[in-house]
Formats: sequence, C-alpha cells, structure tokens
Amino acid sequence: MSLLEVNDLKIKYRTSEEDVHAVNDVSFSIGEQDNYGLVGESGCGKSTIAKTILGMLDDNGEIAAGSVKFKHRELADLSESEWQDIRWEEISYIPQSAMDSLDPVMTVGAQIRQAIHKHRDTTKAEADERVAEVFEIVGLDPARTSDYPHEFSGGMRQRVTIAMALVLDPDLIIADEPTTGLDVIVQDKIIDKLLEIQDEVDSSMLLITHDVGVVAETCDEVSVLYGGKVMEQGATYDVFMHPTNPYTMGLQNAFPVVDEFDEQAISIPGSLPELTEEPTGCVFRNRCPFATEECEDGHPPLTANGGQLSACYHTDKADEMREAAAEPETWGLEGGDDRETSHEPGDVILETDGLEKWFKQTQSFIDDMRGAEPDYVKAVNGVDLTVRQGEILGVAGESGCGKSTLGEVIAALQPRTGGDIYIDGTSVDDLLAESTKKFRSQVQFIFQDPFDSLNPRQRVKAAVAEPLKIQGYDQETINRRVRETVSDVGLNPPEKYLDQLPAQLSGGERQRVAIAQALVLQPKLLICDEPASMLDVSLKANILNILREMADKRDIGIVYISHDLASLTQIANRLAVMYLGRVVEIGDTRDVVQNPRHPYAASLLAASPQTDPSVNRQRVLLPGEPPNPVNLPGGCNFAPRCPKASEECRQAEPKRSAFEDGGHEAACYFPVEDVETELLAQYARNRGQAKVQSAKEESIEESVEGE
Amino acid sequence: MTFRRFLIKRTAIAAILTLVAVSVIFATLRMLPSDPFSGLVASGALTPSQVEELRALYGLDEPIWVQYLKYIQNLFTFQFGLSLTQQRPVSEIIGPALLNTMVLLLPALITTAIVSSLAGMYAGWNRGSWFEQFSIITTTFFRATPIFVTGIFLLIIFSYGLGWFPAFGMRSSMANPEGLAATYLSVDFLKHYILPFTATVLFYSGDFLMLARNSVVERKGSEFLKLHRAKGLSEMEQLGRAGRNSLLPLVTYFALRTGMLFQGVITLEVVFAWPGIGRALVQAILNQDYPTVQAAVFIMALAVIVMNLTADIAYARLDPTVEAGDV
Ligand SMILES: Nc1ncnc2c1ncn2[C@@H]1O[C@H](COP(=O)(O)OP(=O)(O)O)[C@@H](O)[C@H]1O
Ligand code: SF4
Ligand code: SF4
Ligand SMILES: [Mg+2]
Repeated sequence: MSLLEVNDLKIKYRTSEEDVHAVNDVSFSIGEQDNYGLVGESGCGKSTIAKTILGMLDDNGEIAAGSVKFKHRELADLSESEWQDIRWEEISYIPQSAMDSLDPVMTVGAQIRQAIHKHRDTTKAEADERVAEVFEIVGLDPARTSDYPHEFSGGMRQRVTIAMALVLDPDLIIADEPTTGLDVIVQDKIIDKLLEIQDEVDSSMLLITHDVGVVAETCDEVSVLYGGKVMEQGATYDVFMHPTNPYTMGLQNAFPVVDEFDEQAISIPGSLPELTEEPTGCVFRNRCPFATEECEDGHPPLTANGGQLSACYHTDKADEMREAAAEPETWGLEGGDDRETSHEPGDVILETDGLEKWFKQTQSFIDDMRGAEPDYVKAVNGVDLTVRQGEILGVAGESGCGKSTLGEVIAALQPRTGGDIYIDGTSVDDLLAESTKKFRSQVQFIFQDPFDSLNPRQRVKAAVAEPLKIQGYDQETINRRVRETVSDVGLNPPEKYLDQLPAQLSGGERQRVAIAQALVLQPKLLICDEPASMLDVSLKANILNILREMADKRDIGIVYISHDLASLTQIANRLAVMYLGRVVEIGDTRDVVQNPRHPYAASLLAASPQTDPSVNRQRVLLPGEPPNPVNLPGGCNFAPRCPKASEECRQAEPKRSAFEDGGHEAACYFPVEDVETELLAQYARNRGQAKVQSAKEESIEESVEGE
Repeated sequence: MTFRRFLIKRTAIAAILTLVAVSVIFATLRMLPSDPFSGLVASGALTPSQVEELRALYGLDEPIWVQYLKYIQNLFTFQFGLSLTQQRPVSEIIGPALLNTMVLLLPALITTAIVSSLAGMYAGWNRGSWFEQFSIITTTFFRATPIFVTGIFLLIIFSYGLGWFPAFGMRSSMANPEGLAATYLSVDFLKHYILPFTATVLFYSGDFLMLARNSVVERKGSEFLKLHRAKGLSEMEQLGRAGRNSLLPLVTYFALRTGMLFQGVITLEVVFAWPGIGRALVQAILNQDYPTVQAAVFIMALAVIVMNLTADIAYARLDPTVEAGDV
C-alpha cells in the first residue's frame, strides 16, 4: 500500500504579471518505509511539491488540478486546523537551512518539546525524556538540550532539526535539501545518520535535493524533475545506471565527480524555461541536444522504458543518446582533449612564504590592562604556496579552515600578520608602495556571490568598463577590451548583453560578468573564492570551463578556493588541502586525489558522494568537527581526530615535507597507504565502540531500574 | 564574556558617562557671565558685602576645583543643597515635581508600549489588512504632530468644548489632599490626568507600532516560523513566536525611550500646567537658580544613562547570543 500518492498535480503561483506554472502533472507515490528522492536543479518545483504535501504553499500558490492523497485521505481540501493536526504528527519536515530554521530565542530542547506538547498530552518530564532519546538517536549529547541554537555548529543544528522531525514517529519525513550548505564530511555523517534512522524507525522519507550524488546514495526510488515536469522516474539504480532521458544524462554528467580528472566539465547550454504558460512542447527542448521537430508537439508522456519511466520522444535511442551525452561536444562545448598536452605551466607568478594571518580575540579590559597576551585565531598559519602562469591551484578545505582568509590576504584585501607574498618575484609591499592601482590591475579577485558582487543599477558595459576607467584607458581601448572580454567569458554575441542590467541576467550570466570584470585588466593572477558554489550544476561546469580556458589561453595564474572537491579536481592542476590554517597536503591534483597521504585530506576526498549508483562507497565517519583554531595544542593539529595518531604526533608538529614524493607533500608522520582499512574502517569501528558503550550503559541503567 | 563581567563593564561605563554629563553642566553654568547675586547687587537689593556673605554660604567663593569636587560629591550622594531663590532644599522642590512627572509619563509609556506593540504585531502579521493601514496612518499622524499641539487640541475639544475634563493643573484648586494615596488616587486627580495621559500615549504609539510591525513583517517569512508552522502551531501561536522574536528591539527601544522620557516633557507640562520636573526646570532657569537647575539636569541625565544601561541588560537577557558574543 502506498503512503503518499501524488496524482497529476498542477500548481500555479499567481503573480502580478503572469501566472507561474511551477508544477505540471506530476505523479509519484511513496510506499511505507520507502526512501523517495526528488532531484532537479533550482526552480524545477521540488520545494513547491514539498510545501504542498505539508499544506504550506505560499499564499499566492494554489493547487490547480490533481490530488495529493496521504493514507487514502485527500490533503488538497483540508482546513488549516485539520492540517495542524496532521503536521508533525504524521508528516514532519527537515528544512534546508538549519542555520536559520531554529528559533533563535528558544532552547533547542524547548523547540522539540513544543512539538510534543502540541500533539500529545504529556508531562514535561515525559517530553524531556523523549527529547533526550531523539538527541541520542541523532548523535547529540542529551545534556545540551537546554542550549540555544547559536551554541551549535551548522552540522549539529541540522541534527537538531532531524531529531525534531523524529520526535513524534511520523509516517513521512520530508527533507528539503537537508545537506546543502554543509561541508562534505558533515554531509556524509548526516546522510549516514538519515540512513541509519531509516533502518531503525519505520518512517518513509521524501528527500529533495539538487545533488545527484546524495540521491544516488540514499534513495530507493527517484523522480527527476525539470521545469515542473517529471522527466524520468523509477528505481534509483536504473535511473542513474542507464538514464533514458537526455536531461538526466546531462544532469548526471554535469555533476562533478572527484576522481574524474581533466575531463572537460559538461554543462547544459541555455537557461531554464519560463514557466509562465503550460508547456506546449517538451520542457527541455530549448536546451536538449537531441531535440527534433517532434519535440515541439507537447510535452512527451512518461513511457515505460526498461525499468523506468521517461518523458522523451526518443527513448528508443536511449543507448545512443547516452553515449553521445558523455561527450562535451554534444553539449556545444569545444573539445578539450588537446588541452593537457598543449600546456606546460610557465614561470612562478605567485609565491607565499610562511604566510600568516592571525586575528586577535577580544579580551576583557582588565586583561588588556594587565598586558595579558591575547588569544589569536590562527586563520592562516605558515602557508607556503607557489602558482605558475597558466596554472590553477585548487585550495580545498571545510568551512573555517582559513581558505577564504588566505585568498583575501594574497589579494591584499586584508593585511597579513606575517610571512611574505611575492607577485612575479616582487614583494607585495613593494608593489603596493609603488602603486596600488598597478597592483590591483595585476591581481584580481572573484567573489562567491554573483548577486551581491554587481551593482544592480549598472549595465554590463559600464560594469566591465569600470576597472579600465579607473586605470585611465582611452574610450576606444575600453570599448574594444570590454567587447572582447565579454565575448571571452561566453556571453555571445556581446551586443546582446552589453546593455543589460544584472536583474535581467541569470545567475550564471551574472557570475560571468563578474569574471569579465576581473579579466578585463588582463591580470597575472586571479583569485576565485567559491565562484560557482551558488550556481546549479549545469551552469557551474560552464564557469569552470571558462576559468580553465582563461588560464590556458591568457597564461593567468589562478588560485581557486572551494569546499567542493569535485569541481576542484576537474579544474585544478595542483591541489592544496587546508586544515586549521595550514596546508596539510599539496601536490598534482591526480597524485593527491588518487593517493592522498594525509589522513584528513584522504577523509575529505573519500566523503564526496558518487553519482554512480553501482559504487558502494564507505562513509567517512570522521569524529568531531574542526576545533576553533585558538590555542591549539602542540603537535599535529589533526591528532585529536586522527585514527593513526601516536605519541610522536602529539610531541611535535609534522613539517609539510614530512612526506615527500616529487611535488607531492603531506604534513604527516605516518602517511596513509590504504584509505579504507586505515581510516574508514577505523572510524566506523570507533563509532561502533562508542555505541556499544552507550548501549551497555543503557542496559545497566535499565537493570538498575528493574530492581 | 560572562554576564557578570558584561554587567560590571556596562555599569562602569554608565558611571563614567554620568560623571562626564554632570561635569558639562557644571562647566556650562559656571561659564555664564553672571550669577544671580550680581543681579541683586545691580538692582540695589543687596550690598556687596551681603553678597559676599551669601556667596560664602553657598560656597561660591571657593576655588573652582573645590567647588567642582564638592558639587560632584553632593550630586552623587543626592545632596542637592539649597535653592538660591526659594530658601528651601532643592530636593524638596525637585522630589515632588519628579514624582508628578513620573506618575504621568511612566504609566503612559508603559500603556502605549504594550498596546501599540501588540497592535503593531497584529498589523504586521496581517499585512495589507485595513487594520494595518488604519493603525499606521493614525499613529504616524500623532507621531508627526508635536505633543503640545495634540495637547492643545485635546484641551479645546474635551475641556473647553465638551467640558468633560478640567483644563489646568493636576488637581482642582479646592482639593488639598494629604499624603500620596489621597493625592494620586482620587477622582479629581483622574479627571486632570486623562488628557495629558492620552496626549502622551498617542504621541509615542507610532514608534512602538511601527517597530513591532516591522519586526514581525521581517520575521514573517523566516525559516524558523516555517518550521514552527510545520510543527502544527496555530496562527496565534506562530504570531506569539514572531512576537517573542521581535521583543528585543521593542524592549531596547522602550528602555531608551524611558531614558529620554523628559524630552517632550517641558512643552507637555507647560500646556497642561502639570507641576512636574519640566516646569520646575523652566522656572529654575528663569530664576538662575543653579542648584535646582543642576539637580534637575542631573536627574534627567541620570535617567538617560540608567535606562541605556537597562536597555543593554535587557538586550543581553533577551538575546541568548549576546552573552556569548564580544560585548
Ligand atoms: N511564491 C511564489 N510566487 C511566484 N513564483 C514562485 C513562488 N515560489 C516559487 N515560485 C516559482 O516556482 C518555480 C518552482 O519553485 P520551487 O518549487 O521553489 O523550485 P525548487 O525547490 O525546485 O528550486 C520557480 O520558477 C519559482 O520561481
Ligand atoms: S522529447 Fe525531445 S527535447 Fe525532450 S528530452 Fe526528448 S529529445 Fe530532448
Ligand atoms: S601526524 Fe599523526 S596525528 Fe597527524 S595526521 Fe599524521 S598520523 Fe595523524
Ligand atoms: Mg528548493
């Protein structure tokens, strides 16, 4: 029997201009104790479906047709008070942004208790007991229920919301992007937790995500959505093993995977369809490389093909399409095969030597007066790097490891505390002393957010011309260079874009304008901080390709900072992994990815999800989270979490060259040989022990109670 | 930083600020070209030697820094000395006047803070409703009108026009009550009280209403309210959480407002002839009565500073993140 049945659901949003047809004829059903996935890029209607199932559509949204049946009961016509009984009791919800989903002025325990009291007639003591129980289940310390949300890290807050979702044993849990925005290792632990819970409790789960890897690893069944339509539906294994729909193929191929090197990233050209009218042809047709005339005749119906359903007129040619879809040329990208061979990195363009950035912690007035030595957050702590012309150096690490600070210090956006930076052999201080303008023209920075980095009232032409104006070029040169650069970043033909305002551009286009702004001065060094992390996968690849091309063609050195290892391995020649302000491993990307030697780097790499459902990846259950880099103990920084740590590690800090093999260095006394046995199995075992331990304690408690 | 340390630090800062404030008053008054007695000499009422005696009596002949130290010491022990013109202790003038002002303003402020905030929250929750628009327009109108204008209109309508309420003072000239209870708990007092009270309530309602409305509007789309809703909370319970999350700016503003309580008080008290501290200050300035001016200004400055401190503390109490942060 199926728990939830969605049939031919149509949802419209009324807006002041035209209606938005966000969801069109979507059907799927979730059985009991099922893990069901909805996957697709932003705007495909995933969240709209989730909100409908919770009865929480925005005020301007309405169910235009179709039905949503939960345990055979029609949800579409419930009153608000009927909804209030169903919510949480039967359907609970794990929100996307755990960072701001918890009430900041209420203890986490109270927020969970509130859900209990709302639906059950229990005493506070009983509720407290249940809260402690669910805290235990999600791996949080039950002693912390009376803490406020801000006292928890992002990953822990997400655990709190998961605990909250479990507390009433609902039949269905809806998780909307539960791991988006979390670091990979934390993400891996949360996924592991979700799956474990799935085994233990008998709720079903509807998992909504844009992350093909996460769905492939967690869900039994999946629907791939695009433009409010189901494109492909079926068992996850079938759908991602043998996709029969061009969109699924594009999505999967665009999704970067850690151990695919140098393959030119695939991106789907074009942008999302306007949803202002019901589709008259296949919703994907304007971006689909296999579109034919037939595809104009209304959106194709879902038809059975092998084990799954696919909405495409050409499913009979699925095998050929699959093969073609693996080639970048199919998606309108130039072949990138000759890239690696044609290119040898040139001279050293950036060198840092023992670079340091310490932030002083605020201390009390009295301590100040006493002249006490303040504490420092050692955000960047002795970093040596080199970047050559035409080379991309990837800097990876979890949030808080100091990678963004490193980028800003190199770009002189922040003063450094110690060490030296040389651009093209000249110290940054000398360059700045000579002329800040000149320095700025040589070193450019691209920020994360394409929405904030552009002035909303400035047209593309003016935005890209601005740096040239500041440098005092003549109008003719400015015009020429602006057009060239805009075209170089793939905004073609330039005329179409020059007079547009940022609001008229899509996210990907905006980020390309930001890149054009940085490139127009023909810098020697470009520093990019997460330039693509806000973009959908199909567009992300595009940005990566542009940067790669710029490095090759213009001989620019690029420092590419990201937490997304998979993107890094696609684009970077060399990879540096940071932990607590230090580079713990560095080397050619291939060496580092295939043979990581530092236990942390190895764990980070192993935690990236795989889009191939046949790969059975062991999860990385690295204990704890990176500590605040204040007053770190002596010895190896990673020792408290490292399964290989020994006395020696705690005595003295390993040099970065503790392991050295050609250009490949790792700051570890006992370099990893085999990731599975030395680390992953070890983590799992340690955690198992911790569990057995607590289970034992419980049984002792029970026996005491029994007496 | 722990809450204790935070508190100590803030209190120390408040004390220093108060000191600075009263020093400024001292300096300003001493810099005036004349003192009240030289005026009396000029008019021939006193001989110069009598003036010398008087100056000695008030300590005005001592070196300026001795005067300053004594002045500070006296202020901080609440010994305000003798009035120069009324021959009685300043505290006897200031004390009852202060009480009268407080009796008028504090209840008015508390009433408007509570009522307008609740109305504002409701308006923010029901955005676009007629209630929202109506409440914003009316309260903004009263906020924009000077308090004495509202006062005069109230007087014209309800006192001269309809004759419902008396127009002048705090009690009728017949009444001669003894003791606090008889002064403040009589029907006569209530009649005198209603109009100035209403004027104050109306004047301050706009700030609280807008502040409450805006913070609720800001919270309304927030993720945590979505989660509360998903948990099955009713509309009113959700509004309650939105309100609780809006409390911080409101309480802070309330405390600051209370500190600045005396700002509009002068015109208000003059219009309604309310025998409060504002009127006392005006009279003292006219009479060049230093000690009374100093005391009145000191009390007003102290109110601002103490209430700022209260606002800080309330902030730390209400916002769990403040305690952890570097305040
Ligand atoms: N309140 C709203 N008013 C108008 N359009 C909306 C509203 N909410 C979402 N949409 C539109 O509906 C479509 C689907 O949105 P959504 O369900 O949030 O997608 P997803 O969660 O897959 O990113 C998008 O085109 C989005 O712009
Ligand atoms: S129906 Fe046509 S446009 Fe749509 S996915 Fe299939 S081939 Fe592409
Ligand atoms: S040096 Fe020791 S503690 Fe540090 S990473 Fe290597 S094995 Fe682990
Ligand atoms: Mg969404």
